[in-house]
Amino acid sequence: MTSTELPVRTAPASQAAGPIRELAITRRARGGRTNLTLGENRVSRVLALGALAVLALVWLLPASWALLTAFKSEADASDPAHWFWPRHGFTLHGFSTVWERGDLPLWMLNSLLISAAVTVITVLVSAMAGYAFSRTRFPARRPLFVLTVAAVLVPPQILIVPWFQQMLTLHLLDTYAAVILPQTVAPVMVFILKKHFDSLPDELEEAARIDGAGHWRIFWSVLLPLSRPMLAAVGIFVFIGAWNNFLWPFVSTSDPALMTLPVGITSVKDAYGIQYAQTMASAVLAALPLVVVFVFFQRHIVKSVATTGLGGQ
Amino acid sequence: MSSPHAAPRPGATPVRRAVPPGLLFALPFLVLFAVFMVWPLVQGLWMSLTDTSLSAHAPSFIGLDNFTEAFGDAEMWRALGHTVFFTVISTVPLVLVALVMALLVHTGLPGQWVWRLAFFAPYLLPVGVVSLLWMWLYQPDLGLYNHLLDVVGLGQVAWLSDESVAMWAIALATLWWTVGFNFLLYLAALQAVPDHLYEAAALDGAGAWRRLWSITLPQLSRITVVITVLQILASLKVFDQIYLLTKGGPNGSTRPIVEYVYDIGFTGYRLGYASAISYVFFALVLIASAAQYAALRRREK
Amino acid sequence: MTGTPAPVGPPGLTRRRALTAALATGTAVLGAGALSGCGSAQAADASTVRLWDLFSGADGGLLNDMVRAAGPDMPGTHIERTVLEWGTPYYTKLAMASAGGRGPDVAVAHMSRLAGYAPSGLLDPWDLDVLAEYGIRRDDFTDAVWARTQYRGHTYAVPLDTHPFIVFFHPEPVAKAGLLTKDGTLDADAFSSPDRFLAAGKELAKASGKQGVAFGYVNDTAQGWRLFYGLYKQTGGIFELPEGGPAKVDIDRMTEVIAFMAKLCDGKVNPGRLDYPAAIAAFANRQTAMILSGEWELGTFRAADPKVSAAPFPTVFDTPAIYADSHSFVLPRHPDLDPERRRRTHRAVAALLKAGQIWATAGHIPAYGPVTRTAAYHRLKPQSHYAQAQDHVVLDPTAWFAGAGSDFQNAMSQVLQQALHDGLAPDRAARAMVRRLNTFLSKPSPA
Repeated sequence: MTSTELPVRTAPASQAAGPIRELAITRRARGGRTNLTLGENRVSRVLALGALAVLALVWLLPASWALLTAFKSEADASDPAHWFWPRHGFTLHGFSTVWERGDLPLWMLNSLLISAAVTVITVLVSAMAGYAFSRTRFPARRPLFVLTVAAVLVPPQILIVPWFQQMLTLHLLDTYAAVILPQTVAPVMVFILKKHFDSLPDELEEAARIDGAGHWRIFWSVLLPLSRPMLAAVGIFVFIGAWNNFLWPFVSTSDPALMTLPVGITSVKDAYGIQYAQTMASAVLAALPLVVVFVFFQRHIVKSVATTGLGGQ
Repeated sequence: MSSPHAAPRPGATPVRRAVPPGLLFALPFLVLFAVFMVWPLVQGLWMSLTDTSLSAHAPSFIGLDNFTEAFGDAEMWRALGHTVFFTVISTVPLVLVALVMALLVHTGLPGQWVWRLAFFAPYLLPVGVVSLLWMWLYQPDLGLYNHLLDVVGLGQVAWLSDESVAMWAIALATLWWTVGFNFLLYLAALQAVPDHLYEAAALDGAGAWRRLWSITLPQLSRITVVITVLQILASLKVFDQIYLLTKGGPNGSTRPIVEYVYDIGFTGYRLGYASAISYVFFALVLIASAAQYAALRRREK
Repeated sequence: MTGTPAPVGPPGLTRRRALTAALATGTAVLGAGALSGCGSAQAADASTVRLWDLFSGADGGLLNDMVRAAGPDMPGTHIERTVLEWGTPYYTKLAMASAGGRGPDVAVAHMSRLAGYAPSGLLDPWDLDVLAEYGIRRDDFTDAVWARTQYRGHTYAVPLDTHPFIVFFHPEPVAKAGLLTKDGTLDADAFSSPDRFLAAGKELAKASGKQGVAFGYVNDTAQGWRLFYGLYKQTGGIFELPEGGPAKVDIDRMTEVIAFMAKLCDGKVNPGRLDYPAAIAAFANRQTAMILSGEWELGTFRAADPKVSAAPFPTVFDTPAIYADSHSFVLPRHPDLDPERRRRTHRAVAALLKAGQIWATAGHIPAYGPVTRTAAYHRLKPQSHYAQAQDHVVLDPTAWFAGAGSDFQNAMSQVLQQALHDGLAPDRAARAMVRRLNTFLSKPSPA
């Protein structure tokens, strides 16, 4: 459930169950034409560009400051007299110290394993359920679907206490299973994928059925390949959600060896006190994986957020 | 996990024929759903009627005592108030700034890639990183923002340790962090505005402002409602960045209701009472959802 | 990140393949480890003792030194430290880990928190016989400290140190004010009543040319309470917190103590509105001649003034009593633990206690007696000046909600701040404290 849960930006659906609008983000070709929103006014162009540049600067500033700090020595980082430019030049010392301590790579690996498992399980299970609700008949199908949609309204935050109690009873606290399993319940994704399967034409499926294909073949070999873009969108969204999820991993793990990145870097301290350059170096390293992925897969990620983020509105 | 080989094949065995294949497909989800959603909901409700605690003692049934206590608990009301306050002061800028960003980027000015990266990348940062970063930015003696205030000759601000400032500082960090999400939703909606509307306006000789007021904004009204609804629901659930930046302090002045549940349940060991407060919070979310649903319906008529 | 080499293939596909491969590897590892339920570091190296603590900064470095020094005493065993954030989050995590039964082998906890832990079944008791085998005996600790380790006939904590709330002073101005005895220690008589204490403050202010006594409490979650409770116990007043309430306290004596504290922070002779770091800075920069502070700031003060001296908190009222707490070792609950592992943990803790001389350099008084009786310890100044404080230590009242880093200390400090900072009348502050106390008592104990 928390897999859809990006802190303070959750996108549970959804009152109105309208058809999914595929929101294409690709820029429309407008080479050579006059600007549609700005008109031909040069002044408004310049003003808009100016405003954009200022906003972008304000938004880039915090991260740049973190980068700047991460490359300073500890002494320079905590010198209020030379707060901007370091007196002793730049160093990689912060990075090497953090990396050599060894827990950061471990937490990265934990985050990767946990997010990957959550993503694989969630996408597969939700796609199968979406298929079942969309294309098959079985007793209690409608009430079960209504229940699933209603569950979208349940904030995972209220389940933290019973989940903890559950894991306590099952002796699963401080295991990967405890972190992963509750995150794989994603009614929103089932809803989105059901709508998606609803939108696919029946013909292909019928042709396959005439060839003697069973439900599994139809699902696995016909519908899933057709749904790759949608599955990618859902998968990316689930992955980002799991990678960034904080509350449940924080509650379900106390053993530093099992912590995820966001939990580890905020819970475990250095024995030598606050070291700003090192702290920022670990923040930069922790931020790196998803930002790098974003640079490579910008289009996919943007599209995933735009389609999945609305929760099928 | 069911593997492909265990999947149903019609007519394979009598047992499989007895179970409708659709149900088998839905089963993995339904099992997870039952175990990690329905059961915890029921268990949480049960726990809220007991004095379950983190410690070893056996819980006993205490009826509605937890709820009676909750309704008389000034700290709980205060925490609920903080959650609502945060929702208000975060939702407004998160919608407006996202709109401004999307409008500016949508003009098609050069550097699309840079703008999108600048506005959206923070959204991809784990909250742990965001909080470490902003704690450093807000650091009273060494942080960037107080240095900048010094440079322009304004006094320093105790960002996270002044009760009247802390929540605003958290909202500011949240704006930086998550505005990219709403920005993308707006951008997608803007690209769905039909070109011919603008072309008609161009023929009428409408300038940039006229196009904005009479075409773009009206076309965005539906998505604005949707974004606002999603944002309100998301802001009500705030916990992570507040917990990491201030632990709910100074003096409890930023503690949201979700942190109160955490504090009561895990710091105070009172899991039963924490469950009861969870349900009070659930009621708040449901009320907000219902109000928004009603508002949406009225609009659509 | 998993080190999977990207498979060779058409350039366009490499990235996706690499990603798929990474995912597949991840899932495989996970399937093996996680779903079988043993993904925990529980299975870590059998010779490792996992220790959780909350020491960073100078203390953190010293504990590292102690772990090294203890090495020869526990051959084949190695201590793996995890430093978690100090305060409430630490105790929350410790409780959650203990409840889950997969906590560390041993953890550092403040003795004052024991009342919230031992009765709740979150801790296992120590085996005194095993400790004795490794040379640690009950008689090695003072009665005042040892009494607090007990619950229902079992020992739930092994004290590492006592860290009292004391007074630090710069010797020159104090000597100039005539407040030193012949052997260079603080003249406790000059501070032995509220009036004398205030008069001494005036002398100190004159001697320092600035102000007398610093005390940082504004917006602090514990300082007000530390000073108050030590002084209150000096009055001999009762302070009992029976389960369910109401609190049995002596309002008149509370009022008396608060009134004294308010006069002390008058803002004229002594600074009135300092927060914790500002008080440290004021004393370190010699704006004041004296500071009321925990001994754990010794390192900071010595860096500013190598000659800085200290004394046990003077007996201002009638009965000697010094507010303190004690870092101690506790055993988080492990329902079915290998006895060998427990034995190894006992041995490691014994070895750490014997390396206590290192711990003393930070300012803490080692709880293990043989350390403080050595000549080496007596040479440590000013530590040995206040070592006798541990004979009269007073820890937080025994209640499940009290102790270091608790909401309770914060609530009490908030009320005291209103009296010291915002002019709330002492008797009204005392009554407000009692009301807050009764609120805490009215809540059911989780045990």
